[in-house]
Amino acid sequence: MTATNASPSDVSNNSRPSDKLSDDQLVKMLYDMMLIRRFEEKTMQAYQQAKIGGFCHIYIGQEASAVGSISALKDDDPIVGAYRDHGFALARGMHPNYCMAEMYGKITGCAKGKGGSMHMFDRDRHMYGGHAIVGGQCPLGTGLGFSIQYEEKDNVALCYLGDGALNQGGFFESMNLAAIWNLPVIFVLENNNYSMGTHIARGTAMANDLSAKAQAFGMRYAECDGLDVLDVYNTFSDQVAMTRNAKNPQWERGNWDEIEYSREGSNPGPAFVNVKTYRYQGHSMSDPQKYRSKDEVGEYKERDPINILVNHLIEAGKATQDQCHELDSKAKQVSKDAITFAEESPDMPTEEMFTDVYANPFGPYIKGGLPNIITNENSGE
Amino acid sequence: MVSTNGRTLQYREALREAMEEEMRIDERIFLMGEEVGEYNGAYKVSQGMLEEFGPRRIVDSPISETGFGGLGVGAAMYGLRPIIEFMSWSFCLVAADQIINNAPKMLYMSGGQFGCPAVFRGNNGAGGQLGSTHSWVVESLFSHVPGLKLAVPSTPRDAKGLLKAGIRDPDPFFNLESERMLGMGLHGDKDYSRYQHANKWAPPENDKDFIIELCKADIKKPGTDCTIVTDGRPVHFALEAAEALEEEGIDVEVVDVRTYRPLDIETIAGSVRRTGYAVVVDQSWPFASVGAEVASQIYEHCFDDLDNQVLRVHNDDIPAPYSRQREQDMLPNAKKIVDAVRSVTYNA
Amino acid sequence: MAVTVEMPKLSDTMEEGTLIKWAVKVGDTVSAGDHLADVETDKATMELQAFDDGTVAKLILDEGATVPVGQVILILAEDGESVEDAAKTEVSTAPAPAKEEPPAEPASAGGSDEPEKAPEPAKPEPQKPAPAPAKPIAAATPTPSPQAPASGSVKISPLARKLADEHGLDLNKIVGTGPDGRIIKRDVLKAAQDGTARPSAGGASAPPMAAPQAIALESKTTQVPGMRKTIAKRLVESKTTVPHFQVSVAINMDPLMEMRATLNQRLASQGIKLSVNDFITRAVALAATQHPVINSSWMGDTIVQHGTVNVGTAISLPEERGGGLVVAVCRDVQNKSMMQISSEVKELAGAARGRGLSPEQMSDSTITISNLGMPQFGVTQFNAIVNPPNAAIVAVGAAIEKPVVRDVYGEKKIVIGHEMNATLSGDHRVIDGASAAEYLTTFRSLLENPVGLLV
Repeated sequence: MTATNASPSDVSNNSRPSDKLSDDQLVKMLYDMMLIRRFEEKTMQAYQQAKIGGFCHIYIGQEASAVGSISALKDDDPIVGAYRDHGFALARGMHPNYCMAEMYGKITGCAKGKGGSMHMFDRDRHMYGGHAIVGGQCPLGTGLGFSIQYEEKDNVALCYLGDGALNQGGFFESMNLAAIWNLPVIFVLENNNYSMGTHIARGTAMANDLSAKAQAFGMRYAECDGLDVLDVYNTFSDQVAMTRNAKNPQWERGNWDEIEYSREGSNPGPAFVNVKTYRYQGHSMSDPQKYRSKDEVGEYKERDPINILVNHLIEAGKATQDQCHELDSKAKQVSKDAITFAEESPDMPTEEMFTDVYANPFGPYIKGGLPNIITNENSGE
Repeated sequence: MVSTNGRTLQYREALREAMEEEMRIDERIFLMGEEVGEYNGAYKVSQGMLEEFGPRRIVDSPISETGFGGLGVGAAMYGLRPIIEFMSWSFCLVAADQIINNAPKMLYMSGGQFGCPAVFRGNNGAGGQLGSTHSWVVESLFSHVPGLKLAVPSTPRDAKGLLKAGIRDPDPFFNLESERMLGMGLHGDKDYSRYQHANKWAPPENDKDFIIELCKADIKKPGTDCTIVTDGRPVHFALEAAEALEEEGIDVEVVDVRTYRPLDIETIAGSVRRTGYAVVVDQSWPFASVGAEVASQIYEHCFDDLDNQVLRVHNDDIPAPYSRQREQDMLPNAKKIVDAVRSVTYNA
Repeated sequence: MAVTVEMPKLSDTMEEGTLIKWAVKVGDTVSAGDHLADVETDKATMELQAFDDGTVAKLILDEGATVPVGQVILILAEDGESVEDAAKTEVSTAPAPAKEEPPAEPASAGGSDEPEKAPEPAKPEPQKPAPAPAKPIAAATPTPSPQAPASGSVKISPLARKLADEHGLDLNKIVGTGPDGRIIKRDVLKAAQDGTARPSAGGASAPPMAAPQAIALESKTTQVPGMRKTIAKRLVESKTTVPHFQVSVAINMDPLMEMRATLNQRLASQGIKLSVNDFITRAVALAATQHPVINSSWMGDTIVQHGTVNVGTAISLPEERGGGLVVAVCRDVQNKSMMQISSEVKELAGAARGRGLSPEQMSDSTITISNLGMPQFGVTQFNAIVNPPNAAIVAVGAAIEKPVVRDVYGEKKIVIGHEMNATLSGDHRVIDGASAAEYLTTFRSLLENPVGLLV
């Protein structure tokens, strides 16, 4: 797990936050991306074998987005996202076994088999879930930012959303609330150009200049190359630093006319970050991808995020080809082991059906226990 | 405030007492909603609270129910104890995804990791000539959903006791209040049916630990001849009907369910077993309503104790009309309840 | 104009009747005197006869339904009237005239001015009079006037069913006053109180015993049915107010048995079979003509000596008819031949056990016979309770073969002979022991010399 206390980049010296990453940190980022890639390949295989059911959204191609942004966070900065969430779980440090077991609907899954592919939760790793209704997580992320500010903590909440969520009302309401209260939250647009099969230009006004979305709320805007994990990392290092410790102007009563919502610059406050990425696979496992050409996908694969980092590390002498192969082999093995773990785990038992409906249960409901990923030692309250 | 006849306490003040008392002992609690702060509450429920607790904890939200409803869910997941006020439950429909798709399912979807100890509260029900879209009653919509708890308090006593219980409860709690009842209690006993006199409607004074356990129905008036099962504002319609029926020699028992989730069917069934007759009253539309559910459960629990079918009294099955008198006609009013009781007890 | 037929009052104590069986169906043409239906009263099952001519237009009651006396149970179409029209005739379903109306709708003083106006819900006023009853609201089920079930199974509320079970009441005999004749709690409680719905006979027939097993005795309390109550009342009255005494006599039945065998052989071709009881009946009557004091009634200040002998015979009713017993009366027996007596008594017994006796067939007895002499019982002697206002009842045992002393060719010998015991229970206010003995002597003599019974 990469933790960093990155500070805003010193633009005048042209140095970037990634320059300060250690070799180990860089290798870890590479491995995390490889793990997501191999894990997702196994996920697709298991889905096609009908081991995994329901909707299943593959993260391949977008690895740099999760790994780069999460690497720029503190361990206890909360994140919440959408349904294409396996990559986030792994980038946040969830053991692949629990992630895969969840998709298998096994009791050993991160949500005991109650959530599935679209609902990866990990309380100890401050992952507040994948959420399946498009845009539904935006108010939740706003609530996380509100809570951080309420408790006067120095955390930042990251709220991930796809470009489809840009057109949901909840997104705009959330942006507005975050802006008026100056909440420590960053709305992370994972912009892979398609909401299902609809190109962003067909569904979203000002798709050619999404900064307009932030400007409407006087919110900081940033964008980055979502295929370059270091660019993602650098962008988030800066933005997180400028969001941390955001203060609510309305905690001072009475001087409403003086509230200034245009905070481009040094004032800590929320941000909207456009991560330009691309998914190689369809929207979900059942997507025939008639809406885009194979050539288009091929072009993006030329700029594969993993290859970009591998090339960078080899060129910079921070890793060898063999090391990279070794990392990849390890990622393959760990993914294979996750399949084995999931296969061998028991199903969610019948008696679990009525647990976790209520924390304070009544009638037919039963108090539930925590999933395997949270041990008694590291569980919270 | 103590009058010579006993306590005077408005329903809105009882709600405020509940929130204030709990906020004083639990720093995690905040109140968020439209006009709750500087305006002192659209219906003055939160009057004075901004002064005591400050703008950090009494948060004026813009008109963004999806936004602040969902914010409450996220904050509750984080560990805070939000009280989200909807000026009217009619306005919560735009936040449906947050309050019924996210809040009640979070604990389950996360395998027990993230609960949602949030309170959602506001005015519920027609009666003020507000037209159809502002006259929603939501108990039937929301009681359908597993994972949440839902109360419909009928008196200041219940309002305070249930809201305090709901705030302390670790599950999402929906408190359905009534604009038409907020002022009740201003004149003490005079505002209530004689069955509620002697301050039966008022919470005890100076008792910070007073709560009403969820899932405890309350017999608002004992009787032997017919059970009326109801909730919230219709409790007063039922008590009014009870007074009229008493003059005819029909002694009804009025059972206030207080909470639909959980539903205290034992108390309801116990009453029906004693009387042999049941009229279920709620201000929903008839189809798939909480009243239909209660009636069904009465059949399940008391089939051999029933001397007639269970009759239901609801809002008429129409959008709320604006016309003052026709709107009153639409409600499950005392006249309809009297007729139903006569009919069900074969006294029609 | 259609003709209605009401539930008749078929006994002095009858308040309601149960329609056991229709003897006609819609479309049948009936004439006055025709058998319309069998109706059970508190005492017995009676034939309901037509008093008008017409065509049956509508059977209002289901079989098994119980309604008060006076309620319309059948509609006849008169000549020239269509059955359909007649069937539409509005009938009063009001119960017997004397019966109270169900609780009336409350009188409403102030509220009646604006029956349509809903009370102001939020402001209860303790002194406000009850809202006026208005037209039924949509959500509530209107409760129509009491009437019989429309068809098929009994309509009954679950609670009423449970209560009826607890009280052991026959649902078919409870008058339902709920909607569509539904039996409701108050109907069951009334029936339980009035004893008007005795338990259905054979309702709980035991399954055939397949193999010896533990004998389980069911402990249960049943409501006393109407007939049982009548029997109980009358017999308690008799046993406690009539000073009983008994006199017994043993009768040599050899001659009668011999003659009866011979007669029956000859009469067989005519389908006639005289029973021992037929001879006893005639003997009881003829003896009474010689001892009229036996054929009398204590009337308090007077003793009435009857001018004819109407012999009552106690007939036990089969279980499927609810058990109990009735007294069937054969009139003017002293003037009737053996053949007449035989056929009449047979008919009475058949009627009693079948559709039921008419009031006429049950009234005006002057002396009674109780015969337990059926071979299956093996009863040799018993005492009966006087059947007021009769002064005497003759209890007859079986004519059994036993060793008896007979004069055989002038010599006393113990031989096998038929002997029958008869015991007269008398009302000592009317009859003395000697009178009873004299009567029994005559009675014995008539039976021992049976040829006298034939003339």
